[in-house]
Amino acid sequence: MGAYELTLVAVVSINVMLALGLNLITGFCGQVSLGHAAFFGTGAYAAALMAAAGWPLPVVLVAGGVTAAVLGLLVGFTSLRVREDFLAITTMGVGFVFVGFVRKQGWLGAEMGLTNIPDHGLGDIGFILMCLGLVAAMAAISAHIKRSWLGFGFAAVADDEATARTLGINVPLYKLAAFVIGTFLAGVAGAVYVYFTRFIIPGAFGFTVSISILSMVIVGGVGSLWGVIVAAVLLTLLPEFSRVINDYKLLLYGALIVLTMRFAPDGLAGIVTSLSRRLRRSET
Amino acid sequence: MTTPLLQVDAVTVHFGGITALERVGFSLVAGELLGLIGPNGAGKTTLLRAIIGVVAPDEGRVHLAGRDITTLSTDARARLGLALTHQIVRPFRSMSVIDNVVLAAGHAKTGSLLKAVAAVGRVAEERRAGELLALVGIADFAQANPAALPLGALKRLEVARALAIDPKVLLLDEPLAGLNSVEAERLAETLVRLNAGGITMILIEHNLAKVAEVCARLVVLDNGRKIADGATRETLADPAVVAAYIGKEAADART
Amino acid sequence: MLHVELVLQGLVNGSMYAVVAIGLTLIYGLLRILHVAHAGLYTLGAYITVLTTNATGSLALGILAAMLVVGLCGMLVYRLLYEPMLERPPYVALIASIGLFICMEESYRIVFGPYGSSFDMPRLGERIALGPISIAAADAAMLVGAIVLLTGLAMLMRRTRFGVAWRATVTDPAMARSFGIDTIKVRYVNFFIASVFAAAAGSLVAVLNNLVEPTMGSVPSYKSLAIIVLGGLGQVGGTLAAALLLGVIEAYGTIYAGAYLDRDAIAFIFLIVVLMIRPQGLFARGS
Ligand SMILES: Nc1ncnc2c1ncn2[C@@H]1O[C@H](COP(=O)(O)OP(=O)(O)O)[C@@H](O)[C@H]1O
Ligand SMILES: [Mg+2]
Repeated sequence: MGAYELTLVAVVSINVMLALGLNLITGFCGQVSLGHAAFFGTGAYAAALMAAAGWPLPVVLVAGGVTAAVLGLLVGFTSLRVREDFLAITTMGVGFVFVGFVRKQGWLGAEMGLTNIPDHGLGDIGFILMCLGLVAAMAAISAHIKRSWLGFGFAAVADDEATARTLGINVPLYKLAAFVIGTFLAGVAGAVYVYFTRFIIPGAFGFTVSISILSMVIVGGVGSLWGVIVAAVLLTLLPEFSRVINDYKLLLYGALIVLTMRFAPDGLAGIVTSLSRRLRRSET
Repeated sequence: MTTPLLQVDAVTVHFGGITALERVGFSLVAGELLGLIGPNGAGKTTLLRAIIGVVAPDEGRVHLAGRDITTLSTDARARLGLALTHQIVRPFRSMSVIDNVVLAAGHAKTGSLLKAVAAVGRVAEERRAGELLALVGIADFAQANPAALPLGALKRLEVARALAIDPKVLLLDEPLAGLNSVEAERLAETLVRLNAGGITMILIEHNLAKVAEVCARLVVLDNGRKIADGATRETLADPAVVAAYIGKEAADART
Repeated sequence: MLHVELVLQGLVNGSMYAVVAIGLTLIYGLLRILHVAHAGLYTLGAYITVLTTNATGSLALGILAAMLVVGLCGMLVYRLLYEPMLERPPYVALIASIGLFICMEESYRIVFGPYGSSFDMPRLGERIALGPISIAAADAAMLVGAIVLLTGLAMLMRRTRFGVAWRATVTDPAMARSFGIDTIKVRYVNFFIASVFAAAAGSLVAVLNNLVEPTMGSVPSYKSLAIIVLGGLGQVGGTLAAALLLGVIEAYGTIYAGAYLDRDAIAFIFLIVVLMIRPQGLFARGS
């Protein structure tokens, strides 16, 4: 693998981590978030400060995750007050406030960002292996949650909160758990991103990034683990394979969001499920 | 004298300008099957919702087994042993019929976040859910999506799901409405049997003949007020109750 | 003097927000759709105004063309995108709308180029003196334009059959239908009128800045979501007040809080605080 391929693997890994985190919140638990990049950014800034202060990589990764999860917990509390479209615009607001705040903070490098980030010391291959290991771990966590009673409870909360309550499910606690876990993953992704680019600016965590992550979750099929992973990989790689697509990357994401919401609300996963069902029916 | 299992004191509920319940109170001894009747809009549904906490009463208290549960959340009340079937069915539409019941049967696991994240297996809950579906007579629909079910089956799904959380007190909001007479007869028998087995129940039902057959005691609501409370036969003969029903019918007939 | 200028600058910006947000509020009030792509129509209106004016030499013709074309586009968006989604949860339309808005912005960039376009004629550069205060002519045009538009809307809502039908449909669609109101038609007309407003706002801002850019809708789009929430969702008066207030607060915020927070984030601080206190918006009717 050349340097370019290694870069691609790292970028794809980071996006898959972000999509998996958002999928936990929006897919499993049904809480629409339009501000996922804020948690990504929180983790990145925390990690950048910690790394610059000389902390070792594992500590920095965890610190990135924990800092993002603290913000995630706070935003999770808003999901106890507002629902659906209101939660969507609240989280969108959190994203804008995050960027608007960081832009003006001298200690975070303001518009110029943070640059003095040390090397991870793992070597190129070591770093890629770490990325892949983290993706695998996060996918395994997601898969476990989906199979567990926690995931079952999330599905009930996503479907009908009031009814879930009458069955003894502590809905607020479940929502907070989804936010904490999902934003923790985003924070870890942020820390990885920091070591990868060794340079962060506020603009890297803006609304467009939130929407890109969301489009991966939506196109993959909200709540479907493999669908979301496939979509995150495809949507990250497609623009890399063709200059034309890269120039029109946002147009592609936007169009895919529109088309999925309009014609295939269950995304890739839904399309595959209904295709396979039709195949099976035509066989018998 | 034993403490009542469920005690409702002077519960008042307003919706904007409407007074849906006004100082309604009654108590329920363990093992009872209480009939809750009254004309349309009397406040029966609202009373059950106030008991389980979906609606917060403006005044009044609710006690379960001597404990004041008025300020507890709905899920905490459910964990203490209250269950509700909805008059207007509310299945989880993203799950199969049996999964609706499996989820409820796993209440001991979903009731705590730590247990929920650690627990994966569903075998016991699936067996229990299968039994309950058979008990209410919709085992054939187990794998179907709720959207494909007729109303009568969804009504029974409500009952199976509520039973799955092993309630001490089961609040039944018109579970028999929407069933054909054979299905209704069977479900009523099942409920009576479960009641004899130890589940205390409040049953809302429009068919007074059915209520008289099943319930030994009635509470009657009219216009948000309790107008009668007592043994079935005497209560149905109570002039105030008759007037409430006949007045209502006369009014309905006029419009 | 500083205060007068800050307030004036705030009102100019606020009136721009108002003309964009008012259309959003009309659409939200009727259909509970957070129509982010509205700001894409606003940008389209601005482009059509500049291109038509440059081609024909008549600003009036440019504005008229923008209103007509954009109004029709608005109805088209409703027909093709939102109408099939009305039964789905409300965030579905919101997310689709964001996707559409991104598509629109990208399309403008591709079609019209990234650097923006201007009128061939010179900018309204001179200042008008009003006693001790002086105001740029372009700012004055923005204010006057907004007042004219909003007054027109007020008349429309009060005096016309559409206004009556709109209010009846918002209050109780079933009742409205039983009175013979064609609620489907009300929805189309609603989108037409809201989009005409977006176009007019785009024309005004094009004149104000003598510049239209593909991304000129970005700030108004998301900010006007905040404004209609602050204004009480579907409340025309509340939206107006919130827009003007936000404009003024931003003007002050830039001076007094600019060191801590980006100007464009102020609206969202308010949005979050208000939603935490009143989850249904500031002046919302009971559900
Ligand atoms: N969520 C609600 N909002 C406003 N009014 C309600 C609501 N629920 C019930 N009501 C009103 O309260 C009264 C009692 O309703 P309900 O408890 O459903 O009666 P019942 O179940 O006896 O038919 C009715 O007048 C009804 O219109
Ligand atoms: Mg009822």
